[in-house]
Amino acid sequence: MNNEALKRFMCDGCGFLYDEALGLPEHGIAPGTRWADIPDTWVCPDCGTPKHRFEMVEMPYAAGHPPRILLLDSF
Amino acid sequence: MNTNFVMRASERGYNKFLSTGESSSYIGGHPEAIVTRHSSFNFGPYQTGRAPFGRMRVFGDETFSGPGCGYNIHRHHNFIICAFVLQGQLTHVNTVGNIDQLAPGDFYAFSAGSGGKHCELNLKDEDMHAIYVWIVPDQLMLPPSYVRGHFDALSNRNKLVTLVGNADGALRISQDVKISRLVSDTSMALDYSPASKLHGVYAFVLEGEVGLDGTGLGRRDSTGIWGAEQIHFTTGPQETDLLIVETAA
Repeated sequence: MNNEALKRFMCDGCGFLYDEALGLPEHGIAPGTRWADIPDTWVCPDCGTPKHRFEMVEMPYAAGHPPRILLLDSF
Repeated sequence: MNTNFVMRASERGYNKFLSTGESSSYIGGHPEAIVTRHSSFNFGPYQTGRAPFGRMRVFGDETFSGPGCGYNIHRHHNFIICAFVLQGQLTHVNTVGNIDQLAPGDFYAFSAGSGGKHCELNLKDEDMHAIYVWIVPDQLMLPPSYVRGHFDALSNRNKLVTLVGNADGALRISQDVKISRLVSDTSMALDYSPASKLHGVYAFVLEGEVGLDGTGLGRRDSTGIWGAEQIHFTTGPQETDLLIVETAA
């Protein structure tokens, strides 16, 4: 198992957020899916920006987010 | 590693978007509307230039030509998008609930936060010219918000005014970034002190001439400076318009 902390990536084109903890179930990406395991051909579902133009972000969520807290490390 | 630089106007990225063909769904106006964008930093289709500066991701010098020209409504998250109108009239519509019309001197900060859409249009014959600045927030998924202000160049002549950031009368945003503007009509010295040596200063000459330690900056030239306790600008003698973005690293 990959024990590295789960990371977040933001689209440089529109600000869309990919959070490894949450995945994107509505786009077929399961919670816990690592960024590295998403194909390089994947693009931002909102604006079409290619995957390599996302940047890793370390800022915290605002109060009340994310809407679903998934503690994957406890699975 | 953040290094200092001088960027001449011609060294910026240039993109031209037509309201026909492949960008027709994104660019409003028809049939001869054109958006032009000079980018100081890598953004969108321009990726062969300089990396973004501190918390700022985009510094776009943009013109919307032709009635109805601009960006059709589209979605954002997280970014704080600021526009400073220099010429013409900008119509801004957002899903926070605003339909706003901005004239020269007007500016706004739209924080997309947990999700918001916006539309940027020039509904007039005259070109609309604005500076767009995008900033990453200090928290993800903030409640979306929109605030707007006005810079009165006449009553603030020869005085540096903070437009965005933590200052009286400025638009507050959720990030350690301060945006200021100076319009001068005389030769003057401006000693600018960043909040700390860890802050960077990006200064962009909208009009006129600015001197900086023996280096002359002309119209649309800019400079990025890190680690300075104080920066000594000189302006004039002709009318000068300077926009300064100070950001945490």
